[in-house]
Amino acid sequence: MDIHDGAPALSVAGLRKTYGETRAVDGIDLVVDRGEVVALLGPNGAGKSTTIDMVVGLARPDAGEIAVFGASAHEAVRRGMVGVMPQEGALLDDVTVRETVALIASLHRTPLPVEEALSRAGVADLADRRAALLSGGQKQRVRFAMALVPGPDLLVLDEPTAAMDVTARREFWQSMHAFAETGRTVLFSTHYLEEAEAYADRVVLMHAGRVVADGPVSAVMAEVSGRTVTATVPGARAEDLGALPGVTAAHVRDGRAELRCTDSDLVVRELLTRYPEVRDIEVGALGLEDAFLRLTGASEAVR
Amino acid sequence: MTGYLTFEIRRTLRDAKFLLFAVALPVGLYLLMADRFIDQGAPASYVMGGVAAFGAMKAALDVGARTAVERGIGWQRQLRLTPLSGSGYLLAKASVAMVVALPPVAGVSLVAALVSGVHLSPGGWAVAVLGVWAGTVPFALLGLLIGQFATAQNLQAYQGAVVLLLSFVGGLFIPVSTFPQALATVAKVLPSYWLAQVGHATALGGDSWQAALVLALYALVLGAAVVVRYRRDTARA
Repeated sequence: MDIHDGAPALSVAGLRKTYGETRAVDGIDLVVDRGEVVALLGPNGAGKSTTIDMVVGLARPDAGEIAVFGASAHEAVRRGMVGVMPQEGALLDDVTVRETVALIASLHRTPLPVEEALSRAGVADLADRRAALLSGGQKQRVRFAMALVPGPDLLVLDEPTAAMDVTARREFWQSMHAFAETGRTVLFSTHYLEEAEAYADRVVLMHAGRVVADGPVSAVMAEVSGRTVTATVPGARAEDLGALPGVTAAHVRDGRAELRCTDSDLVVRELLTRYPEVRDIEVGALGLEDAFLRLTGASEAVR
Repeated sequence: MTGYLTFEIRRTLRDAKFLLFAVALPVGLYLLMADRFIDQGAPASYVMGGVAAFGAMKAALDVGARTAVERGIGWQRQLRLTPLSGSGYLLAKASVAMVVALPPVAGVSLVAALVSGVHLSPGGWAVAVLGVWAGTVPFALLGLLIGQFATAQNLQAYQGAVVLLLSFVGGLFIPVSTFPQALATVAKVLPSYWLAQVGHATALGGDSWQAALVLALYALVLGAAVVVRYRRDTARA
């Protein structure tokens, strides 16, 4: 296989992975173009990490195709085209930050200068410190330096800010942003809606191993947010309600229908026309966080 | 590969406590055992060969098995995201194990020469030191294999059992000829029995070609096993 000039940074088709009984990833298609900053958003257990592990060659898919710059994941890693910050993956306690990053650099053919990787990740002042003496957030930034030092064209970050406090988080995103500014591609996973909103051009929303929404941040936000109409609609089935104009999703629970709407006025008018016996109509706005939780079905787990 | 090897060797040489212990344990054992055995009529070079083999074997096993910790914290995952191949990583680790295995042999031999007055021809020393050292290769690989199965928590237990079994049943301390028949048969299956043959060759005479051949076969089998195991170990550590 060869690295194709015109190939997208990442192309994934029909990706599946099962661990025992659990379908961790259940058919994912995804194309990331060069220069995009894409957030893989979803609650814990949505399949984000499994997807990322397969994309970078740490896990073997049960089915599906993965191409990184037109080549296999292993080939792309071998050529230093992908920098990865896996979620698990620690530092050796007895080794200094500079030695660690220098080691990774020495394994690659065309690495960045070590000092440059250190300063880009904001750990230049920690260079002589051993990993045992670093805080969780500092360790994450060292691992960011390790992802940067191959001089990759695609950066893959699995929940990069998990162990960071607010300040560390902000500094981290500044570094990431500076990297993306150079026209390179970033794919990162997060379960923080604000992070996706603030730092990505595009959001891929995952739930239960599938992609449930994919698009520019504003479009996904619009889809995720919007209004809901709840009403008691005797005899109506969820499928029929879902087919009403202006409704994007419908659930019926204990006789109450919950409709997510792009146009709640239209939906109320349609309901009254088609189901004259409808009662107890409520119209509500969904907060983003609320809507996100609902869309991904995580509301019960969270509350 | 050379970059990784340099890195690992530098790390190991910095770990003075570990290196010191690797030498001090067999040297101490030699000093404890030598008098008693020599009183019973065993030549000092016999004790030297067995204890040197023990020291080298334990050091090589320890280095390999300690990779369980790196595997546990996810360092191996991190390395899989670099161009370093699995066999490159394992070869570097095995090389480090061999570097650490030499000082115990040299230390025991030196003490045997100085304290017990063991005299050998240059060729005799070559077999006693370099022969035993080279025979340690399968143990470096066995240690790596243990490291790929054990966790940081159960490593000590595994490692202790393996070292005890190999050193006592393998006849590194007590001659296999004094074992009951059944145990002596078991002993001959262990690679440490053959390493003991190399170690004792100085005292007992005879050549070590058969032992060298068996140890080489062990190295091939264990080497293949650890490479296969490392490749399959894609599960999250």
